[in-house]
Amino acid sequence: MISSVTFEKTTWNKLPYKFEAGTPDIAGAIGLGAAIDYVSGLGLEAIAAHEHDLLAYATKALQDVPGLRLVGTAKEKASVLSFLFGDVHPHDIGTILDRQGIAIRTGHHCAQPLMRRLGIAATARASLAFYNRRQDIDALVEGLHEVQEVFG
Amino acid sequence: MSSELRDLYQEVIIDHGRKPRNFGKPEGANRNAEGINPLCGDQITLYLKLSGDVIEDIGFQGNGCAISKASASLMTAALKKKTKAEAEALFERVHSMISEGPRSKVDPQELGKLAVLSGVWEFPSRVKCATLAWHTLRSALDGAGAPVSTE
Repeated sequence: MISSVTFEKTTWNKLPYKFEAGTPDIAGAIGLGAAIDYVSGLGLEAIAAHEHDLLAYATKALQDVPGLRLVGTAKEKASVLSFLFGDVHPHDIGTILDRQGIAIRTGHHCAQPLMRRLGIAATARASLAFYNRRQDIDALVEGLHEVQEVFG
Repeated sequence: MSSELRDLYQEVIIDHGRKPRNFGKPEGANRNAEGINPLCGDQITLYLKLSGDVIEDIGFQGNGCAISKASASLMTAALKKKTKAEAEALFERVHSMISEGPRSKVDPQELGKLAVLSGVWEFPSRVKCATLAWHTLRSALDGAGAPVSTE
């Protein structure tokens, strides 16, 4: 912002106001507060326990799918499962799952050097959070059968 | 399986995606261009052997999903022995069919095998997969060979 403007001269306000023109992101700040309240209400430890359970369940379920290979199996990891499925390209997996209401991410995940290091072009990736349930993982496995059907 | 999915993944698409035709660099290629789809990592290098105004030979290499590989494969099969002008005209028609769907003036049935790409229209997130090879073709025909990006 400015502190004063005339036809001859503009004087900028001091920092940080100089860079904070216009209406601040009030709704954003209120939204962030509500989100923090919500997550605190659930409890970070409860969320971690739930995600850990989902991860263990999903890891087992996906490992049991013939032709599926998990990429990234560190002992301590977040509830994220990257995988390859036969020779089906991850984008094709994503589209077919999407049609069944299952949202995953596909591609190189902004990690191209890692993909090159692993010798793969892309992966499919399911990310689990506190709002997911075991049924969602069952649906994912079911959805992968449909992928198999299309690409037989 | 939904009918849209069936339209997208027709047998011809699966077949060309798995066994792409004209895969590789043709002998005597004198034009090439690279196309990339940076968000998904699809990459194609297209090679042309131009003799005057005629595409004597055409081939491609690269990596991508079934849609992008099938589109490139079908494109190369359709363009052999065609003139530059015919290739440009085909680009326009295919592009219109894929991006405009039923609003397009192009009747997919007039495009022969390329008609299988008409199902892509129902999947906006996949349109770029199907058009990558075609945009790369344009760059190769221009002679500039400037890398093409879909973003």
